[in-house]
Amino acid sequence: MSKQLRNLVIAFTLVLIGVAGNAQNVITGKILDQNQEPIPGATVLIKNTTTGTLTADNGSYQLKSSQKGRFTLEASFMGFKTFSKAIELTGSTQLTLNITLEEATNALDEVTVTGKSVVQQVRDKAFNVSVVDTKKLSNTTLDLGHALDKVSGVRVRENGGVGSQMNFSINGFRGRQIKFFLDGIPMENFGSAFQLNNIPVNLADRIEVYKGVVPIGLGADALGGAVNIVTNSYTQNHLEASYSYGSFNTHRSTVNAIYVSDSGFTAQVNAFQNYSDNTYKVDVDVADINTGEYYPNQEVERFNDQYHNETAIINVGVANKSYADQLLLGVTLGKSYQEIQTGARLVSVFGGWHSRANIVMPSLKYKKDDFIIKKLNARISANYNLGSEQNIDTLNRRYNWLGQFKEYDGAGGERSYSLYKYRNNNGIATASFNYKIDDHQTIALSNTFNTFNRKGEDEANPDNDRYDEPRKTMKNVLGLGYTYEQENWNASVFMKNFFQQNEFTASYNPTGNYGDVAYYNTINTFNHIGYGTALTYFLHKNLQFKASFEKTYRLPAANELFGDVINLQGNTDLKPEYSYNYNLGTSYWLTFKQNLINFNLNTFYRDASDFIRPELNQNQTMQVMGNLASVTNAGIESEIRYQHGKSFAAGLSVTYQELRNDTRFVGDQTVESIVYRDRIPNMPYLYGNADANYTFFNVLRKDDNFNIGYNLLYVHEFYLYWPSQGSEKLVIPEQLAHDVTLTYTLNKKLQFTLECRNITDRNLYDNFSLQKPGRAFFGKIKYTIL
Amino acid sequence: MKKEKLIFGTLGLLGLLFTACDSNDDGTSPENPEAGVESKYIITATPTAAGSEGVADYILTTDAINEGSISTAGNGIEQDGTYRYYITTNNKFFSMLYGQGNPGAVTSYELNAEGSLEKLSDFQSETVQAFAAVDDEILLIKISRNADSPIASWYRFDTNTLQFVAEGQINTQELADKESGELAFFTWITQVGDKVYLPYFTMKGCCSDSFGTIYPNEANIAVYSYPEMEYETTIHDERTSFIGRYFVNGLSVDENGDAYAFSSSVATTNGELSSTLPSAVTRIPSGSTQFDDYYFNIEEASGGLYVTDQVYVGNGKFVGIMASERTSAYASGNQYAIIDVYNQTVTPVSGTPNPETVVLTSSKSNYVSDNKSTVSVGITTETGSWIYNIDVASATATQGKEVVGGTITAISKLDVVE
Repeated sequence: MSKQLRNLVIAFTLVLIGVAGNAQNVITGKILDQNQEPIPGATVLIKNTTTGTLTADNGSYQLKSSQKGRFTLEASFMGFKTFSKAIELTGSTQLTLNITLEEATNALDEVTVTGKSVVQQVRDKAFNVSVVDTKKLSNTTLDLGHALDKVSGVRVRENGGVGSQMNFSINGFRGRQIKFFLDGIPMENFGSAFQLNNIPVNLADRIEVYKGVVPIGLGADALGGAVNIVTNSYTQNHLEASYSYGSFNTHRSTVNAIYVSDSGFTAQVNAFQNYSDNTYKVDVDVADINTGEYYPNQEVERFNDQYHNETAIINVGVANKSYADQLLLGVTLGKSYQEIQTGARLVSVFGGWHSRANIVMPSLKYKKDDFIIKKLNARISANYNLGSEQNIDTLNRRYNWLGQFKEYDGAGGERSYSLYKYRNNNGIATASFNYKIDDHQTIALSNTFNTFNRKGEDEANPDNDRYDEPRKTMKNVLGLGYTYEQENWNASVFMKNFFQQNEFTASYNPTGNYGDVAYYNTINTFNHIGYGTALTYFLHKNLQFKASFEKTYRLPAANELFGDVINLQGNTDLKPEYSYNYNLGTSYWLTFKQNLINFNLNTFYRDASDFIRPELNQNQTMQVMGNLASVTNAGIESEIRYQHGKSFAAGLSVTYQELRNDTRFVGDQTVESIVYRDRIPNMPYLYGNADANYTFFNVLRKDDNFNIGYNLLYVHEFYLYWPSQGSEKLVIPEQLAHDVTLTYTLNKKLQFTLECRNITDRNLYDNFSLQKPGRAFFGKIKYTIL
Repeated sequence: MKKEKLIFGTLGLLGLLFTACDSNDDGTSPENPEAGVESKYIITATPTAAGSEGVADYILTTDAINEGSISTAGNGIEQDGTYRYYITTNNKFFSMLYGQGNPGAVTSYELNAEGSLEKLSDFQSETVQAFAAVDDEILLIKISRNADSPIASWYRFDTNTLQFVAEGQINTQELADKESGELAFFTWITQVGDKVYLPYFTMKGCCSDSFGTIYPNEANIAVYSYPEMEYETTIHDERTSFIGRYFVNGLSVDENGDAYAFSSSVATTNGELSSTLPSAVTRIPSGSTQFDDYYFNIEEASGGLYVTDQVYVGNGKFVGIMASERTSAYASGNQYAIIDVYNQTVTPVSGTPNPETVVLTSSKSNYVSDNKSTVSVGITTETGSWIYNIDVASATATQGKEVVGGTITAISKLDVVE
């Protein structure tokens, strides 16, 4: 057992720190099962060294090391007997070793815990983390946002069809309280042209969802959790393309191309496109354009809801050089167009209002192990978004749901006359360092720096010199952590410093005479310390316990401080939100023959204060954010997964949470608020997922596979407003959506998928009155050229 | 403390699905149930909660407003949209959504024979900044605050057919007719004889000072014919600042047809209060489109208070909401007075809570009794919300019904529809 756990720790460390450069011995090969099927995710390592790796999709691996002498090479995977072979390394050995693993036929003892996939290893960390293995979803037409919806504890809510705004919640926290990362880099400055609602699932290798306590490697001011999207990092040439077409004139395509030369030169292109008219039908009360009279319950088609985006991510650089394990220079280019069909309710209907956005974001990524000194690993990244966003509302019209309109004279908008265009000039730089003191101890230091300087103008309102005022904010999150690892337990403690400086304009009257105005620039500064710890203990090799705690802050976002000049007024007095997060969890694995059962149970508690929430401004013309509310949340989430060999997998996850209002006194009131300890309204509190997958191998010919997949989403009904109030109440009804996916793969190269979402054509709502699409069909073809 | 919370949370997990809410009973029952209900008071209330998210306004009905208590817990009709405004006219109760620029549904109710509110219809309306009953119609105006699109739109709504019957537009920049290009922003709508009078303030609508003006010391009232809504003239005066306030009526007509105009004197320039004239009342005699020389200095008569809101009762008497210190153009006062415009007196109302403990007053939609003897207002203090019934003759208020856990947004009354 101890050996296996040692291996686990090593494998785990390898994944975290990558493989060192300056390699001279090179061992390559493939790991196959008895049927000569490749085994992806198998562990290959040289015993008693730090050299090791996991096999790729096609079962291939490559090990590099500079060691000399006699060693043992070991290969393992869950459900298979561990393979080992003595090898002699000269320091420049070139070896090709294809390994066939034998299935473990007799019970538990033969199954090795070391054979866990990367996905499993991330789950083994002390943090409360869920991992979406997006490879399993790459045949679907999902975007990353919808892939996240399958994670226990996570709820994704959206207002409509393709490209519509998504709102994520993790165990009761939502919006900006949750931070998103792409390969560890905060996505805060990406703008709407590059977001989870438009990034195809193919881009990612896996998605890690940290609930509550966030490791310092993800340096950010997350209050309720973080989502890290890990993209595919192919180590060899790869080329694939996909295209899908479906209901509501929806087209999506992706191209992923990677070139790796022998000299270490790397070029990567990820390009994708989404287009949809979103012309699905909704049931709505249609108003007579002239009299205002409603004709109830009409079925109408959406008519101002087109969405499209086109994005390309290009990276070039080098790998495995003496000065860098990886050095990539890149740029993300993209644009998006979105028509806005409705306001916060279906009764507000628009016919011409739309927005545009683009992204031009140069970036830099640098990775080096043994950076300057041995055992110091460095990761540095930076990006700067030069892109802009524009809100276009120039039709002085009023529409109804039949697309009829009244036109008024003069300039005006459907909501608020606007051609407002702005750039946030938002840059992010991150650096993280890991130093391994010895086999047990690691120190980590990470820093994330974020700068924001909004410049905007509005051709529709040229006189408004508000746009000239400074709107600058600078954030820095510094983290320091220490980890101690033993064979059957590990623990880390960490501290974070949250710093923010905001620069803005205040006006005053310099002379006291009427009409005089002068401005002075003023600066606000916040500085807070957060801290936490995470522990995990393996009672048995198949039974793990986890506990974590943290005090964390979420700094006010730029929009909350400076407003959006349209509907949101800035509030430069905002303070950070903060929360105490507690997690306690357990995982159990049971394997016998070809069966694997995994059971996870997590409980959590959150105690959060100074929540940033909207209210109306003084003359009730805009919304303004304030530090208004405190909440507590106690909840439980559990997940059970079953796998039989490679052909069948099924899972079920359920989350229940008690999100309660903890604001006892409102404003100057000395009497307890009537909604004190009431359940927070308009938040799902009981929801879950179920899925099942069956694959038929070698259907018509060898290597032709057919897969049938099913997914169920359930959300219990919940109240729009405070549950305890009123007797005639507004409800967001129960949601039950069944999706089915059929995939036929030819020769592992060509894949055809047919997908039906919401197969029972139920009326689905994530948000009050905002109906989502009914039954929809999509077909997808994916071709892997290399 | 933390531990307690944890235990509480854990308990919750063990199956406390919903908080049980004791439904605070109305405390009153129909006085003569066998004789049938004739009328009901309508109280609307917003539960006190932090922020605006998840907060709705609830419509409650009750038989008496002088005693007992009522609560929104488990009681009342929940309405969509946090901000609601109400108007009662033609024995119908209209609930309007303030949707920040978006159109929204307005719901109308009447009282059925069982004494319950019955929804008559939903109809779509714009978010407006002024609305008032004019004969059997409601006139609503959506007003621009943007100098680049200086258009106010008006809508006439027929309360019998429950449909809009006409609409039109007013160029508020042309109406204000200022060299600086400031816009007219109507404070409210008052029917005067067969015309509508629209008092307005001027505003820049731009340049970091949208609601500011460089004309803080003048009053203007635009006069329109009705129902044609044709512009007739503007009544101008420089003895007071503008009439009414943002979203607040400042013009009322007495039994003689004379219109009394109240100025709070709260114009702002670059975010600072800039009116130098006192809060005062002026008058437009019946049939005239000019102020006469009537002038009543409220601040002098009240010993330094200014009036923020007022409701006309009768015989020259108003119930005014008063404040001592001007802090904002949008704040309502915290104390009450009987303002007699005939005798030019201001009499403080006794029996209301200490002004320093007043958190909020219901400045709109207060209820004037049928016999014009009492005015019912909602007051929220640090310790709760009550309806106070102000006896106008004696200038004394008595604490009436408690509204548990919420602020009172409107008090009204409907008769049963035969």
